[in-house]
Amino acid sequence: MKIYKKEGNILQILSFPNETIEKGDYLLIEDGDDATKALIVQVIDVQFANIPGILEELLRSLPDGGEVMEGEDFDPLEIAPHIMYIQDARLLTCKIRATIENESLSPSSSWLPSRSRSIIKKLPLPTLLKLAKTDGKLPIILGGTKDASLLTIDASSLDGRLNIITGKKETGKSHLSKLLIPSLVRYGATVVVFDLNGEYISLGMTADGRRNAYHHKVHVLTPSQNFKVALKQLNLHVLLNILIHALHLPGTSAREFRRIWRSLKETGNLTMHELGEAIRNWRCNQHVRDALFSRYYALVNSGVFTDNVAEGMLLEESLFRAKKEGGAIIINLRNTSSIDRQIVVEYLLGRLVELLTSWKLKAIFLFAEEAHLYLRETYWDDIVTRMRHFGIFTTFITNQPDTIRQNIYRQADNIFLFNFTNEHDLEVVSRAARVDAETVKSVARDLPPHYCLALGKVVRDFPMVAKVKALDVKTMGETRLFFKDMN
Amino acid sequence: MTEQQTITATPKYNFPQPAIETSLPQRFIELSIHSLKHVQNRPFQLNQQTFQQNNQKEQIQAGRVELQHIPLKRRLEETAVAAVDTSSIKIGETSKGILIAVRGASIWKKKRNYRYLRLGPFIFHITDENRKEVYNTLQMTYFNSSYEQNRQSSPSLFQMPTRIANLLERWLQNTLSKTVSNGLILFDGSLTSGIADTPSQRMKEILDNTRKRDNVVLAFSKMTTLRLNGYLITDVLLGYKPPYLFELSGLKPKPPIVLLGDVYVARLTKGNYAFRLDIDKKVPVERRVESIEKLLGNDLLSQSYPETLRLAHIFCTFTANEVIAMQHFIARKYNLKIINRPDMHRLLFGPFGKGESCS
Repeated sequence: MKIYKKEGNILQILSFPNETIEKGDYLLIEDGDDATKALIVQVIDVQFANIPGILEELLRSLPDGGEVMEGEDFDPLEIAPHIMYIQDARLLTCKIRATIENESLSPSSSWLPSRSRSIIKKLPLPTLLKLAKTDGKLPIILGGTKDASLLTIDASSLDGRLNIITGKKETGKSHLSKLLIPSLVRYGATVVVFDLNGEYISLGMTADGRRNAYHHKVHVLTPSQNFKVALKQLNLHVLLNILIHALHLPGTSAREFRRIWRSLKETGNLTMHELGEAIRNWRCNQHVRDALFSRYYALVNSGVFTDNVAEGMLLEESLFRAKKEGGAIIINLRNTSSIDRQIVVEYLLGRLVELLTSWKLKAIFLFAEEAHLYLRETYWDDIVTRMRHFGIFTTFITNQPDTIRQNIYRQADNIFLFNFTNEHDLEVVSRAARVDAETVKSVARDLPPHYCLALGKVVRDFPMVAKVKALDVKTMGETRLFFKDMN
Repeated sequence: MTEQQTITATPKYNFPQPAIETSLPQRFIELSIHSLKHVQNRPFQLNQQTFQQNNQKEQIQAGRVELQHIPLKRRLEETAVAAVDTSSIKIGETSKGILIAVRGASIWKKKRNYRYLRLGPFIFHITDENRKEVYNTLQMTYFNSSYEQNRQSSPSLFQMPTRIANLLERWLQNTLSKTVSNGLILFDGSLTSGIADTPSQRMKEILDNTRKRDNVVLAFSKMTTLRLNGYLITDVLLGYKPPYLFELSGLKPKPPIVLLGDVYVARLTKGNYAFRLDIDKKVPVERRVESIEKLLGNDLLSQSYPETLRLAHIFCTFTANEVIAMQHFIARKYNLKIINRPDMHRLLFGPFGKGESCS
């Protein structure tokens, strides 16, 4: 391999057919003269080198009406393999990732090795990972890389971070989440999952239906079944958030509700039944009463609210158990209506903030699938600014990258990117601050299913591709097929 | 080291025969390798300049030339069409000489398909010391005569690429003349002999061999310097409906130049392209016209030029990619160090210096 050109932080390298280099590979460029310095570059595109005369060569091989012309070549010096060799020369477009100077890495690209004397070789990923010090005390094996080594990240690189897992349908996003969740739980973390399709409810089971090591740490809470809330447990502002944001209660009505709530609280009658009665008998405008009644029945019909305090303790019990030994609380939103989903999420986020503010919980990792379906507008900003300080570290999982706001991408610390072919989707993801658009567009387009491009702090800003390792977890959330049994 | 050519004979035309004369290619290889061994571990300068196989200015007087218009018709009787072409290129310079490559191609048309036989590239390191030896050895191998016997001076270093290519071309032509029967053999260039690289005797032998197997040689010149009343012969008399020939009789070559063919202007398709066409003098006139008509019926003609000959040219021409590959081969196999000497034109005249080739 030889350095051909440099423009900005893009380096073009000429590679020959016997050097098997693929997109995503890392190269180490050592200067022939200065042994203390080396450049680390990543191949983001592989093209054929623009060899002069190649068009004539190809035309010559197909002159007979598009069919290959028959004949014999008497080539005693065996030049033909050299012609092939030159024809198949490749031009590698590489992104400069770092400079090694005296065995330490720096992101600088100001230094350039010699074009004629530099030695270019493939940098094995284990060596790079060692140089980048991505391994820590809390390793999580993401999967295998192309050179058969393991890509290991450190759980601490997800701690306090905003993460995005995205890719088109059936490329393995949920699979990666299912890998990360037990790994975090193993290290004692509390994980809350907004499970839109009931995909995570079997995290505690092996593929053949037996209990796995995490079974007792996975707590599945299904709204209106084992996930209920007693009014007595609720803070007024949490309920008001539900009424205003999820049920769109107007301001005047919200003021009346506040008075009703305080009145009930003073008399110790905070029950659903008493709340209904209070609204009925409250002296107020009929329109306000109607507005309050419609929201009251929405709360009642959700089945989430109960007067039995014991029924409403499971969430906190699960969270406190998880706090002690690590655990995943799966909020199964599978059969929950859109309104009820928003009620549940409003309540849960409000409750989590309460618990975190009062230091009853240390921090939680929140996994939110297709969050645009239940997260209200104002929460997006909260998540990247306020909630992070409370200790809610979110991982968004989506196959529609444009449903996540731009500021989330800009502030994302880690992105796990699966295959995308749509230009628009790639454009959206490439706005992330921790990655360059060329890498995203070039590498993500060619990722096979289950291969993930890890970007950001987890890989110390060295984008790496790995095949996400297989899991022994009972698969849920499979697409229901009409023709399944017929085939 | 060398391989016997594995060429399967086509039943109809019996071409090329398995017992094909291989001594010349073998000698080419031996000389090629021998010459390259002397170049090992030397620096060599790449050179972009290519050698054109320039036609020597024809020393032919077109004084009282008579023109005869011959209209043509396509004859569809199946006839073998074969063509030969060679090319040479300078691929670099060493401190002692030049590195050149030559390659030849024969194309023949079988029913509706074309087949090819390509020989080479043969790479030579030619120096002032070995140029006579190389050239004479090649001549002796095939023509059983050395250059010294015919000429006072030997070809100069810079004439060597075209001379060696010419030698290969004559050999390929002779091979075709001995293997094709009842066919048309297309040559690139004229049937003018007596010039340095085309001794009359050699050319006569080739034509004799061709006639013995009932073949007709049609030699197409892409370029001609023959003029009639100040105009190039290919530019006049375009007013007739093609295909047609114009016979130019009364041409008088200056000795020692000999015309072994009669000269025609051939306009075989629509469009303003016409070529000088030489047809063996010893072929009866009727047979000549018949041959051209058979060519019209058996080969594709584009811009008045036969496809078989066009393919022969395409197959032997070196592309830039191949030149790079040969330089790579030499650098690898003979450990030559590639150096880039400054182009003095560029150095002295900057953007006004267009390089040596344009000087």
